[in-house]
Amino acid sequence: MAVEGNNDSQSSPRFVPQKWDREKGGHFFHTDEGGDVSLGKGNHPAPNRIPSAVPGVITGKLDDLIAMGRSNSLWTLTFGLACCAIEMISTHMAHHDFDRFGIVTWPSPRQADVMIIAGTVVKKMADPIRLLYEQMPDPKWVIAMGTCATSGGPYYKSYSVVMGVDHIIPVDIYVPGCPPRPEALMDAFMKLQSKIKSDAKNGQIDDLSGEQRIAPVAVADAAPVIDAVPAEVPAEETAG
Amino acid sequence: MTTESQFETVDMMLNMGPQHPATHGVFRMVLKVDGEKVIDVIPHIGYLHRGTERLAEVETYGQVITLFDRVDYIANLNNELAFVRAGEQIMEVEAPERAQYIRVILAELNRVASHLLFIGTYAIDLGAMTPVMYGFRERERIQNLFEHVTGARMMHNYMRIGGVKADVPDDFVPWVRQLIGEVRKGVEECDKLLSTNEVFLGRTRGVGVIDGPTAISCGLTGPSLRGSGVAYDVRKDDPYEIYPYLNYKVPVGENGDCWDRYYLRMLECYESLSMIEQCLDQFPEGPIMAAGRRIARPPAGEVFSHSENPRGDLGVYLVSDGTDKPYRVKIRPPSFCNLVGLATMTRGSYIADAVAILGSLDIVLGEVDR
Amino acid sequence: MTEQDPKAAAEAPKEAAAPAEKPARHGPPIVIAEEVLNERGEQTAAQLASTLGTLVLDSAGREDNPWVRVDAKELHAAAKKCRDGEIGMDMLNLMLAVDWVDRIQMIYVLYSTTNNRKVILKADLPAESPAIDSLTDLWEAATWYERETHDLFGVDFPGNSDMSPLLLYEGFEGHPGLKSYPLNDYEEW
Ligand code: SF4
Repeated sequence: MAVEGNNDSQSSPRFVPQKWDREKGGHFFHTDEGGDVSLGKGNHPAPNRIPSAVPGVITGKLDDLIAMGRSNSLWTLTFGLACCAIEMISTHMAHHDFDRFGIVTWPSPRQADVMIIAGTVVKKMADPIRLLYEQMPDPKWVIAMGTCATSGGPYYKSYSVVMGVDHIIPVDIYVPGCPPRPEALMDAFMKLQSKIKSDAKNGQIDDLSGEQRIAPVAVADAAPVIDAVPAEVPAEETAG
Repeated sequence: MTTESQFETVDMMLNMGPQHPATHGVFRMVLKVDGEKVIDVIPHIGYLHRGTERLAEVETYGQVITLFDRVDYIANLNNELAFVRAGEQIMEVEAPERAQYIRVILAELNRVASHLLFIGTYAIDLGAMTPVMYGFRERERIQNLFEHVTGARMMHNYMRIGGVKADVPDDFVPWVRQLIGEVRKGVEECDKLLSTNEVFLGRTRGVGVIDGPTAISCGLTGPSLRGSGVAYDVRKDDPYEIYPYLNYKVPVGENGDCWDRYYLRMLECYESLSMIEQCLDQFPEGPIMAAGRRIARPPAGEVFSHSENPRGDLGVYLVSDGTDKPYRVKIRPPSFCNLVGLATMTRGSYIADAVAILGSLDIVLGEVDR
Repeated sequence: MTEQDPKAAAEAPKEAAAPAEKPARHGPPIVIAEEVLNERGEQTAAQLASTLGTLVLDSAGREDNPWVRVDAKELHAAAKKCRDGEIGMDMLNLMLAVDWVDRIQMIYVLYSTTNNRKVILKADLPAESPAIDSLTDLWEAATWYERETHDLFGVDFPGNSDMSPLLLYEGFEGHPGLKSYPLNDYEEW
């Protein structure tokens, strides 16, 4: 359902569950790379796929390990813009329970990893969104949820709506739908997780940080929101 | 001895939003504070101004219904109903009885869903984490039914000028009956958990008081106005659809504080559930769409119609020039008007109470900014 | 009042030689609705007429919503009479502007919570530099409505102290509520 953006590297191996084969025994999974992977059977653990020099010692790239950690504890910025935010909240709540992916919301951009643009981005809101994005520490990812954040959606004729949040900040995953179902958002997060892992494998992680990520789009006629704040307020507090 | 007046004090400006978890969206307010006390509140809105009213002028009547879904995105069906009724008035058609019953059942269910969301998020604002889980659990059940009937969880586009899009599925009545039982239990759970909680009472009783005449002058409607003791409910005072055939009470508060506004919504949930039961008992057979042309091309003229949305009096002023697109659509947004009262309520309270007061108004930014 | 057909409008400049004519509108003829008040509406209308007296220029109504048109200069007086008179319109329910291209019409929907009646006041303003007295001293609800109308239609409200943009932002050019304001097709922003 979700579409990956900015990712022209090869996709990560995908596991396709196979029927349990009585002949072979155990549970087997077929991978894109070819070959089967055993999950082990009964008390016998599966043979280790990761090459190990010494028995009982696993070796791997540190990048992989970090990516594993990152992808399994994505903290999203508590930030709802419009109708899509309601579905986003639904995803976090009892029935769909986003916590099981390690995804929790955090109200401050300073500790957040992912920003879900859940809703219509209007020109007045463009500057605060950019500010919030810049306040987030690297590495950071953006999910454009819904057609509004992707392309303006039902408001594409409007005089005050930004035609997609990618005019302001770079986007990693686009989720179609108006609003996308909670399942679609979950799928987007799974795509993001695999993207993080595969980026680490392919050495893309360095490109993700730094100035290049900020699209060179002039936000000329955006609302001068920060100027409107009374002088006593330091700029950091504008993010709430 | 030094007195306080000998020190020079400076009012501080404190900015909240537009990204702030307690502002329920992209609302921004600047508090002028003296220590912990709020002296003045300057609300800033428009961070979700999508130009709905102007867009409605270039879309046909059928398409405008989809825009209304997105105006108040927590009570979508109530919004559709408001526009569809205005359209019916200007077209001079009347929906058949069965369609009216379907609409009222769905609208009342949506009211419950909306209030459940309010109860949950309000509890979060005040520091209670559990009710929101209960609220959303019940809301999810209601959304499942909506999906079954209309095909969508949120943006239904189900009502039409002169009826509804499609008849309800065969298992609608038993499903709704079962749903009501479940939801009622869930509401009771939230009620028990929250309404008599010491901490909750301490945070809401006597906070954000607004008296009746001021509330009317500010244009407050819905539970926010009824909390101040003014019994104004469009369903009773200007009856529409099949509401006159139903037996229900409109709860009215006394003190005009946050607790009254909160508890009214809780009581309204029970009332709505019993209204739906009555509707199911009376549920007639028959057509679901008025006879006539499918494409709306009303005569030139103007109508004003309003209906009761979970947040208050939702009005639609429709001007037609005789073509298939409205000439002007003006929405009377209840949350927008309720926000006018925010400054009056908040002056003189503490900063932490500002969050409680804002939450008790139950604003939806899509409707405030349109 | 008639909607211009976009094709006809686009072709119009080419035939500059012919005297500028309104392009013909396609589609069925426009029907104008009859305005009929019901019984309840008649009562309210009578009450309203007696409250406003000579201020009324024009009046009609539909269903139970009678409307009267008053002079723009008299609107404040008329609204005050409605609020304080026997008719007791204590709530400013809605306020809007309609752009009729040659004029801007202000419409005020007043509601009485005591006897559940509503009346509609209308006032015509010129299309160029429209201005009308503010109602903020009568109803607090008018403050935001007026700021919004100022944003979208450019109507001035002498008497309202705060006229900063509400829905739009500082530096927004034009008044997007007006019919002359272009709506974009896809714009690369
Ligand atoms: S995509 Fe649809 S649901 Fe999401 S914010 Fe836009 S209009 Fe609302």
